Amino acid sequence: MRETIAFYLHAAGIEAGYGYFAPNVPYSYKLVFQLTYPNGTTEYELPSVATTETGRRLPTLLDFIAANRYEPLRQLILKMLAYSVWQHHRDALRIRAVFGMVITPSIAGYSRGDEPSYAVVCAYDFGFSKTERSPP
Amino acid sequence: MNEWFFGGTTDNWLSALRIGLGLQLVLYCIISRADWRQMFALQPGSFVTRDLTEALVTLGSALVPRVSWFVSAGEFIGLSEATVLWVVWGVLLAAGLCLVVGMFCRSAAIAAWFIHLSAIKSSALFSYGVDNFTSIGLFYLMLSPLPDHLALDSSWRKWPVKNAQLQSFWQRVLQLHLCVIYFFSGLTKLLGSGWWNGESLWRALTRPPFDMFSSEVLIYGKYLFIPLGLGICLLETSYPIFIWPHRTRRIWLVGIITMHGAIAVLMGLYLFGLIMGVLNIAAFGTDLFRLRGRKVI
Repeated sequence: MRETIAFYLHAAGIEAGYGYFAPNVPYSYKLVFQLTYPNGTTEYELPSVATTETGRRLPTLLDFIAANRYEPLRQLILKMLAYSVWQHHRDALRIRAVFGMVITPSIAGYSRGDEPSYAVVCAYDFGFSKTERSPP
Repeated sequence: MNEWFFGGTTDNWLSALRIGLGLQLVLYCIISRADWRQMFALQPGSFVTRDLTEALVTLGSALVPRVSWFVSAGEFIGLSEATVLWVVWGVLLAAGLCLVVGMFCRSAAIAAWFIHLSAIKSSALFSYGVDNFTSIGLFYLMLSPLPDHLALDSSWRKWPVKNAQLQSFWQRVLQLHLCVIYFFSGLTKLLGSGWWNGESLWRALTRPPFDMFSSEVLIYGKYLFIPLGLGICLLETSYPIFIWPHRTRRIWLVGIITMHGAIAVLMGLYLFGLIMGVLNIAAFGTDLFRLRGRKVI
């Protein structure tokens, strides 16, 4: 019975509440990948998507990572995202995924000259070998 | 009450809903084409593998449709995952086009609802409001008395138009649903201090990746954030009251569509703006714009 009701809610598109941007607009999150190469050089990458529309969908994923308190799941999702970046940088020895919160200044703060700041929430190091063929 | 639900109406609202949702699906397909495989494939390098997202979604119910069902069916007849994903994309696009022109309306609406629902559930970690509202619209479209008089099914294939009582019932359901959505959306906003002091509106517009305009430009309008923020809350909370009388309907409808238009332009949420415009016009707008309609017995 519970499953049937859950199916109906999903089917009708009513499983989520209607409190968009309510009661307050939350801070946004940012994910940065630091790639380290064998010669010691480092490079920074953001999660790459092909279109701006998909880019506007990324905050849902980042909000989920932030809200998720189950450490292994958070780590697994970040590893998957790091792996997708590593696919384009297969020489990288190590990828550090740095997940943080973007703190935008208030109206008064911005008027005073405050700039957006970045507070690290968590960071993980991942290493992938070139022989790795399956996703994490 | 019976008269209110089943009093009969034209099918203009259904034409607006069908064409608008069809257009929404076509744009969704075109825009998501470049990332489609990466969103749904199990291959190395996809953002978040489909099986993880589907596992999270199906915690609530194993009956929720998902892309894996199509992939499994395709593999059964020897199709690769990539082929199945493109077939799914193509069928969704075709269903959207059929809805726009009104061909095979019922089948197209059912296919569009099922495939769209599967796609958004399998990419739930990338879904936002636009997907929920498209699902809501497609759910009602699928159940509504199709075809409408503007559909090719009626004019070309001569399929009979359904009765006016059913038209008015489903329009009432959509109208009531929108009232619930706006009322609770506005009410929950009023609970937050940010909507009273303008900070929520400011943060919504400066929050990456929705910061279409730089803070340097937006700060010039800082005195408008408080009245605009409160105006949004009041517009939404009072929607269920003022959208019904003919005297105030035009004001509230124009106000709410303007709000969604502004969200689309200022935050880059064009698909969200479109779906909300479509739902509002289908629910309350077609009578105001005096579209020629046919009331069928």
